[in-house]
Amino acid sequence: MAISVLIVRVFLGGLLLVAGAMKIGHPAELAASIAGFRLLPAAVVGPLALALPYVEVLLGAYLVVGLFTRTVAAVAAFQFLCYGGAVASAVLRHIPANCGCFGPNDTAVADWPHVAFDLALAAASGFIVWWAPGAFAVDRRMQSA
Amino acid sequence: MTRRTLIIATVAVLAIVAVAAVSLYFFGPQHRQLQTAAQPQITGKAQVGQPAPSFVVATTAGLFDLSKTTKPVFLEVFATWCPHCQHEAPIIDRVYRKYRGSVDFAAVSGSDTAMDGTSASSELDVLNWARRFNVQYPVAYDPLLNVANLYLQGGFPTIAIIGRDKKIAYLNSGEIPYGDLTTAIEKMLR
Repeated sequence: MAISVLIVRVFLGGLLLVAGAMKIGHPAELAASIAGFRLLPAAVVGPLALALPYVEVLLGAYLVVGLFTRTVAAVAAFQFLCYGGAVASAVLRHIPANCGCFGPNDTAVADWPHVAFDLALAAASGFIVWWAPGAFAVDRRMQSA
Repeated sequence: MTRRTLIIATVAVLAIVAVAAVSLYFFGPQHRQLQTAAQPQITGKAQVGQPAPSFVVATTAGLFDLSKTTKPVFLEVFATWCPHCQHEAPIIDRVYRKYRGSVDFAAVSGSDTAMDGTSASSELDVLNWARRFNVQYPVAYDPLLNVANLYLQGGFPTIAIIGRDKKIAYLNSGEIPYGDLTTAIEKMLR
């Protein structure tokens, strides 16, 4: 099981690292994408667009190395559920919102497969929460130290 | 390094990111561009199935008067700073190349902010945008944002397809796939 958790951790962490890194330096594009969902006020959208990429990179790095694994995986699960909820609401309201998941060059429009993908990622994060920390985790070393 | 130190460091990093994000949003070098991008846009009175509100604009292909057109109309309300409009431009160009003989096209600017996200919009800005993104369809600068106030549906770009009967057959905003646009046009041309 420890190896399975490691694999899921590295996959999810890598995904968050890539997604966050691709958004860094493009806050206006990300703000326009988030605003396109018409769920949050502008005063929240702007700072969120600036901070989110760095938070994703941080979460991704912690998941990969297995630091604070359970907490970080729980935060990631919550984040994926929020993404899924936002995309589902856009689909239900017939808003062709651009998810901007992987930066400004990601022009995919919100649809049900996106929702399913986000829910699958949330489930994978839940798996890590349950079985944390898995193999080769910094948490494990800190427990034994 | 102890667990406690790592927790404190993580919380400190998150706090710095949060403070930096809020500061940059309100006072950073690109704050106006960000604030424009983050704004929810106007929602006009146009509705599917309802008569299309009349408008006249001077496009790069000449004067466009909705009340005098005899063909169906493809209308885009865009902003030059809007990345989604920039992504949508080649898609609309494809649609334009396919239907230019049977449908009238007009893309009208709908924001008071220019492509750089900081200066005020202008006719030159719209023409520069069209050149930069190789836009072939007719574009117009609307200084009073009259068309945006009538048609915009909460975000850029907003696309309206108006039938020969001058009723709105299709109205949507965001990055709309080519297939969705051609399906809407084909449905109206039937």
